[in-house]
Amino acid sequence: MTGLKHLLAASTALAFCAGPALAERGADGELKIIYWQAPSTMNPFLSGGTKEVEAASMVIEPLARYSNTGEIIPALAAEIPTLENGGISEDLKSITWKLKTDVLWSDGTPFTAADAIFTWQYCTNPEGGCAQGAYFDGVANMEALDPHTLKITFTEAKPFPYTALVGSESPIIQAAQFAECTGSRAPECTEQNFNPIGTGPFRVVEFRANDVITLEANPNYRDPAKPAFATVTFKGGGDAESAARSVLQTGEFDYAWNLQISPEVLNEMEAAGQGKVVVAFATSVERILVNFTNPDPALGPDERSVWKEDGSNAHPILSDIRVRKALSRAIDPVILTEIGYGKTGRPTCNVLPGPDIYVSTANEACKTQDLEEAKALLDEAGWVPGPDGVRVKDGKRLSFLYQTSTNAVRQEFQAIIKEWWSEIGVETELRNISASVFFGGDPNSPDTFQKFYADIEMYTNNFSGVDPEAYMAQWTCEKAPRPATQWQGENINRFCSAEYDALAAEFSRTAGLEARAEIAKKMNDILMQEYVIIPLIHRGGTSAHANSLGGVLINDWDSELWNIADWHRVK
Amino acid sequence: MLRYAARRLLISIPTLLAISFIVFALLDLAPSDPTANLPLTIPPEVREKIRLSLGLGEPFIIRYFKWLEQFLINEPLAVLEQMTGLTIGDSENRLRVLSWATRSPVTDLIVERLPQTLWVVGMSYVVAVVIAVPLGVISAYRQYSLFDQIGTFISMLGFSIPTFFTGLLLIVIFSVWLGWLPSIYDTTHVVEDWDSFWFQVKQMAMPTMVLALANASQISRFMRASMLDNLTQDYVRTARAKGVRERTVVLLHVLRNSLIPVVTVIALGVPTIFGGAIVTEQIFRVNGIGALLITGIESNDIPLVQTLTFIFAILIVVFNLIADLLYGVLDPRIRYD
Amino acid sequence: MPLDAAKTETLVSVRGLSMHFPIYAGIFRRQVGVIKAVDDVSFDIGRGETLGVVGESGCGKSTTGRAVIRLYKPTAGSIFIDGKDISKTEGDALRRLRPSMQMIFQDPQACLNPRMTVGSIIAEPLDEHRRDMSRAERQEKVRALLDQVGMNPDFANRYPHEFSGGQRQRIGIARALALDPKFIVCDEPIAALDVSIQAQVVNLLEDLQDRLGLTYLFISHDLSMVRHIADRVAVMYLGKLVELASRDALYESPRHPYTKALLSAVPTVEKRSVERIILQGDVPSPANPPSGCVFRTRCPMAEARCAAEVPAFRKLADGRGVACHFAA
Repeated sequence: MTGLKHLLAASTALAFCAGPALAERGADGELKIIYWQAPSTMNPFLSGGTKEVEAASMVIEPLARYSNTGEIIPALAAEIPTLENGGISEDLKSITWKLKTDVLWSDGTPFTAADAIFTWQYCTNPEGGCAQGAYFDGVANMEALDPHTLKITFTEAKPFPYTALVGSESPIIQAAQFAECTGSRAPECTEQNFNPIGTGPFRVVEFRANDVITLEANPNYRDPAKPAFATVTFKGGGDAESAARSVLQTGEFDYAWNLQISPEVLNEMEAAGQGKVVVAFATSVERILVNFTNPDPALGPDERSVWKEDGSNAHPILSDIRVRKALSRAIDPVILTEIGYGKTGRPTCNVLPGPDIYVSTANEACKTQDLEEAKALLDEAGWVPGPDGVRVKDGKRLSFLYQTSTNAVRQEFQAIIKEWWSEIGVETELRNISASVFFGGDPNSPDTFQKFYADIEMYTNNFSGVDPEAYMAQWTCEKAPRPATQWQGENINRFCSAEYDALAAEFSRTAGLEARAEIAKKMNDILMQEYVIIPLIHRGGTSAHANSLGGVLINDWDSELWNIADWHRVK
Repeated sequence: MLRYAARRLLISIPTLLAISFIVFALLDLAPSDPTANLPLTIPPEVREKIRLSLGLGEPFIIRYFKWLEQFLINEPLAVLEQMTGLTIGDSENRLRVLSWATRSPVTDLIVERLPQTLWVVGMSYVVAVVIAVPLGVISAYRQYSLFDQIGTFISMLGFSIPTFFTGLLLIVIFSVWLGWLPSIYDTTHVVEDWDSFWFQVKQMAMPTMVLALANASQISRFMRASMLDNLTQDYVRTARAKGVRERTVVLLHVLRNSLIPVVTVIALGVPTIFGGAIVTEQIFRVNGIGALLITGIESNDIPLVQTLTFIFAILIVVFNLIADLLYGVLDPRIRYD
Repeated sequence: MPLDAAKTETLVSVRGLSMHFPIYAGIFRRQVGVIKAVDDVSFDIGRGETLGVVGESGCGKSTTGRAVIRLYKPTAGSIFIDGKDISKTEGDALRRLRPSMQMIFQDPQACLNPRMTVGSIIAEPLDEHRRDMSRAERQEKVRALLDQVGMNPDFANRYPHEFSGGQRQRIGIARALALDPKFIVCDEPIAALDVSIQAQVVNLLEDLQDRLGLTYLFISHDLSMVRHIADRVAVMYLGKLVELASRDALYESPRHPYTKALLSAVPTVEKRSVERIILQGDVPSPANPPSGCVFRTRCPMAEARCAAEVPAFRKLADGRGVACHFAA
C-alpha cells in the first residue's frame, strides 16, 4: 500500500525534475559540498543567514518551494492551492493546503498539520527572536481541518498567500522535537538547533558549528529511490576563491556555493575542465542609492540624514532631479558588468529585475552612457565648471561622498565611476566600510548603510521568493530609517512620494498576477525615472559543480540545494 | 623553586583578574549588538527581548561577575562532567557561557576546535623546532659557509613571506598541479588504520609546513645567534684545550648553553599554538581556534571572543612562568629563592 | 745558549712560528688581507723552566701561547714538544697529545662552562683521556686535584658561579693539571684577579712547578710579576719577538729600545736608573705593519735603514737575542 504511494510520489517527482531516478538510495556514495561561509546553526529561524537556510534546506522542508524557473511547486503539500482549485478562498482571506499523507519525519513518526501549526507558533512567539517572522505577517490563525489539511486564515485579504511555510526560509520543524524550545528557551536548545529532525532527503549525523556538517540519507524519505547519495559532507570556512578551486581545479569537492570572485579567475579555473560554473539570475541588483536627505556632518543626530515630513531637511544638491539624472547618464553599466562580473552578471535598468512578468522595458536608455547629455543636464541645473574643473553653483562645489562596503569589485567600481563623474565636473570622495559594520545594523554606529551618512552609497539588495510586494513597498515614506525607529527601515534613500505610496497600497490589495505585475512595473518605473536608484547590474548566484555531479539545477529563487534529492553521480 | 612558583602563581591571580576585567570591559563597551546581524524584519521589541534573554539587561558589573562565575566555576565543572561522566551538583540549571551566534556553550565550541588546532599548529611548532635547532647549530658552527648562506636566505624568506602567500603557493603546486595533497582539511577525519593515518599526514602536510617555515625561521635565527655567542666563549676554548672531541664540544658545551635562551623563546611561543593560526587555518579550512576567533569577531559574538581572549591571557601568563622556571632549571646561575 | 733551554734539556722548541688571520670584506666576503698576529717567532723552553712573554695588548703573545699548544693551526713554522713536531698534527692525533700540554686562561669566569659543576669540569678531560680509570678513581682524582690547588674537595658538586675569582682560577688550574701535563701555557692567569689574590695564585703556580716539575710559558703584561716568576723573558711587539734574554739580564740592561721603554715604565722600589721613556704614537695595525723594523714608527732611535731593512734576530755576546740594527 505504502509502496504504491511511494511509487506515485516518485513518478510525480520525476515529472518535475526529469532526473534519472534509476539508482537506488545511497548508491552514489559521498557528496561533498563547500560553502565558504560556514553555517552556525541548522535552525534557520534563529539565523537569517543564507548559509544556514540553505544548509537546513537539506533536512527540513516547507509546504511548497520555488523551482529554478521561479515556479511554485509542492514539497510537503500534495498540490498548490489556487483560486481555481478552491484552495484559496474567494475573499482572499484564507488558504487551505492539502498535505502529502505518506510523509514521515526522519525519526519515523508521521508528519501532520500539527507540525505546521507548531512551526507558526514557534516563529511567532515574541520571545523566541524568530528571524523569519515576516513570513507569518498577516496570519490570523492556522488550524488543522484534518491531520493532513491545513487552513491558514489571514487578518485581511492576502492577494499573494504563498508566504507562510513556503520557500526554504520558512520550513516546517517537528513539533515533538521543539516542544520545549519555544520562546525564550529557543536559543538554549543547542541539541535541537544543531540536529533538527526533518522530512528532507538527508538527516544530520554531526553538526560542527562554523565548520562542517555531516549528513546521511534520511531512511524515511518519502521517495525510496532517493537521495542517490548516502552521505553529504558540508564543509564551511575559508574564502570564495579557494572554494571554487576545490571544485574546478583540484576536484576535491562536488559543489561550491556563492563564488563571488573576479570573472577572469573564475574562467581560468573553469578551463581546467574539472567542473562547470553555473549562474542563476533572480532578484539581486547592485545599485547606487541617492540620499534625499541632508547628510551634512554639521547637523545633529536628529537632523543628519533624517527625513522630515515637511521636506525641510532635503539634500541641498541631490534634490534636483537633473543632477541625479546626470549622475546616471554618466555611468555605463555594460562596461561595469564586463569588468566586475563577466557572465555572472548582466547590465540592468530596473531595480525589479525578475521574475520576467514584473520586468519593465521602459528604462533601457540607461544602458548607453551619454556624457554630453549629463553635462547639458548639469549646465541646465545651473552648475558651471569651476577653475579646477569641478562644477560650482552659489559658492557650493558639486562634490559627493560615495560610500560602500569593503570589497575589491566595489572599490574598482568606485574608482571607475569617480572617473566618469569627474569627466562631467562632479567631484567624488570615496569611502569604504568593512561589510560587517556597514551591514551590521548597529544603531550606534555612524557607518551603517541605514544611517546613510553620505550622499551616495552602493550595495546589492534583493528579495526572496517570487513576489515583489514587500520589496517594492520599501520605498514608501514611513519606511525611512530615523532615530525614532532605531534607524530601522528599508527606505534607505528616504524617498517620499504620495503617488508611490498610493501604488504600494494598491499593490497590497490587488490579486491576480497580471494586475499585480502592472503595478509593480509602474512602481519600478517611478524609482527609475526619478533617478532614486541607479541600477547597475543584475547579479546572478554563481556556483560551481564537478562534471561528475548530475542533477544540479541552480536556483536563485529558493535554496540552491532545493533539488538535492535528485543529485547523482554521472557515470 | 616550588615556593617561587607558588608565589608567582599567587601574584598572577590579581593580574589575571585585572586582565579579565579589561577584556570584558573593552569588548562590552565596544559598539556591537548581538541582534545586529538579525534581519531587519525583526521588530525592536523582539530585539530587546533577545537582548534580555542573553542577559544584556543587567548592569555591566553584575554581568561581569556572572561571566566570571560562569567562566571560572561553571565551565570547568561542565568540562569535568563531560570528561568523567559524573554529575556534580545542579548541572541541569547551571548557566554556561553561551555563544550568541551558534547559541551553544562556548567551551563546547572550543573543545570541538582544539584537536585540529593542536594537531596542525602544535605539529608545525614541533616540526619548526626540529628543523630550526640543527639548522641554527650548523649555521653558526659553519658561519658564512654555503650552508649558512642558504639557511639565512631561507629563513629570510620564511620571515618575510606572509603565510597566506606560501599557503596559496603550496596549494597551487601540490593540489592543483601535482594533485598530491588535499587543499581542504577534513576535521571529521578519524585515524583508525595506516591508510587513514597516511591521509591525516597528507592533509596536515601543507598547513604544517606553511606554519613551520614561519616558526622555524624565527627559532633558527635565535639558535644561530645564541650559538655564535657561545662558540666564542672561553669555556669552549677550554674544552678544546682539554682535548674533548669536537662533537662533544659543540653538542655538550656550546649547544647546551645556547639552548637556554632558545628554550625560553620556544616556551613563550607555546600559547600561540593554542591561539591557532588565523590566516593559515582560513586558507586550509582547518577551522581551529584561530578560525573560531575570527568568526566570533566577525559575527559580534562577544561571549566567544571574551572567553577566548581570556583563555589566551591565562596561557600567556602560565607560559611566562614556565619559561622563567625553565630558565632556572637550565641555568644553574639562576636561583629562585 | 740563551736561545736554547737555560737549565736542562729542551722541552718546547718553536721555530719560525707565524700565525696569520685572514681579513674578509665586501658582500661576498672575499679575503682582502691578513693580520700577522704572530710573525716568524722562534724560542726554546727547557724542562722545568718558566719562559715569560711580555708585551702590550695586541702584540701577539696570547696568540703565540695558543698556537704553541695548537689551539690554532699555525700558518707557518714548527713546534716541537719533547722532540715531536706537533705543528701539523690534526684531529684525533692532536687530541691524544692534549694531556701533555695544557693552558690556564685569563678570565676564570668565562673559561668555566657555567652549566657544569666544578667536579665535572675537572673530570671531563679524565673522562675523555683516561678511560682506564674507574669512576671512583676519577672522582678521587678530582678531589685530590682540588686539594692540590688548595680548595675544599667537597666543592666538586658546586657550580663555578658560586666561587670567587681567585677560587675559580684555582679550579682552572686544577682542571689544567688533571691530565698530569708536562707543559702549561699560562695566559695572563692573574690579570683578572685582585692584587691580593694575584700573589696567592702565582705562588701556587710556583709551588706546583716545584712539586710536579712543570714547564710554563707564562704570558703577562705585568712586568713585575714576570720578573718574579720567569727564568727567561721574551718581549714581543706587533707579532715579532724583539728581545729574548735571561730575566736578570733583561731587567738590568735591556738592549732593544722597545724593551727599554717598557721597563722604564715599571715602578720600582729602587731609585730609577733610567729616564722614563715615553713612546710616541700608537701601535700600528697588524694588518698593515710598517716596512722594515716594525717598531721604527715609534722608535726614538729610528733611522732610514730601519724602514728599508728588517732587523735580524741575532745573538749578542752575552747570549741574549735582539732584533735591532743598533743593539750591541
